[in-house]
Amino acid sequence: MSDKKLCAAIAIAGAFATAVTLAETAKAAKAEQEKCFGVSLKGKNDCAAGPGTSCAGTSKTDYQGGAWKYVPKGTCTAIVTPKGKGSLEPLPN
Amino acid sequence: MSAPADFDQGAFVRALLDPELPPPNGLETPRGFSPEKRFAVYRNNVCVGLVDALSERFPVCRQLVGEEFFQAMAHCYMREFLPRTPMLFEYGEGFATFVSQFEPARELPYLSDVARLEYALGQAYHAEDAAPLTIGSVRALPPDRLENATATLHPSTHVIASKYPIVSIWRQHMSDEEMTPLDLNRGEEALVVRPELEIRVSTLPAGGVVFVDALKERQTFGEAVDAASGATAAFDLTVCLRELLLAEAFVAISVAH
Repeated sequence: MSDKKLCAAIAIAGAFATAVTLAETAKAAKAEQEKCFGVSLKGKNDCAAGPGTSCAGTSKTDYQGGAWKYVPKGTCTAIVTPKGKGSLEPLPN
Repeated sequence: MSAPADFDQGAFVRALLDPELPPPNGLETPRGFSPEKRFAVYRNNVCVGLVDALSERFPVCRQLVGEEFFQAMAHCYMREFLPRTPMLFEYGEGFATFVSQFEPARELPYLSDVARLEYALGQAYHAEDAAPLTIGSVRALPPDRLENATATLHPSTHVIASKYPIVSIWRQHMSDEEMTPLDLNRGEEALVVRPELEIRVSTLPAGGVVFVDALKERQTFGEAVDAASGATAAFDLTVCLRELLLAEAFVAISVAH
């Protein structure tokens, strides 16, 4: 193995090791959020896709009970909308 | 329902797309209903259905140009490109290219790339399922073999490089975040993956799209790094891997023996 090749191999191994740690840290932070139903304005929901599917930005009415958003953990049920409080479970519309 | 032997599909389609043309020959309608009127209803349903499908498929493009403009543009597209398969989720494949050549949209040079991103979201949604590799199993890979390892990416993985900040534009229009002025000269490289039920959209560092495309071609990590560094001297492998891991884009990483 040439020096250059060895350097490349070490750089790749190093990048993997750092990236794994960074990803774990970021994932742990994301886990602190919770899915909150019934608090999303129309077209502002977080899930995603296209016609005929449930998808980010496709909820048809404000505070639709089946649409959810990520909110900081512990805050969901404290959110009050004109239609009632946020819920950790899907709500009837 | 079967078509008569002398059914001319070409003539039917032409009549479908051009309200000036008479309805195709051989139409049978219930007594008292004129074929012209009945066919006009059918024509309208087809057009509205396809324009609506595009409208749902490209919601941010629609916001960027406004409802009226989008409807007109979608109608022009539909007149030129009818679905090529019975699957509506595949409709709009050439929409981004069409938009890039659509004269009235010239002032929004990023519109076409946003359309590419939105089409990729739909494709990712309908892509085959696969279990993503856990971060723990990536950590367990032998470090000295990674350079010659190859990756299997999640079937839903799409990458789009743009000269414009397409991910920021898309995100601002899809979220509650306040609109902030964007530097339109700052390009972004988008990564789209749907590891489970939710689509993830993230930004890769410069060169990331070249890197992912190389991995998709089964090049080794070493070769993919060379390709990306060749495209952009500033290619940041660590950031690129972090984004791919967070998006859960890897299904397998095979180390050479």
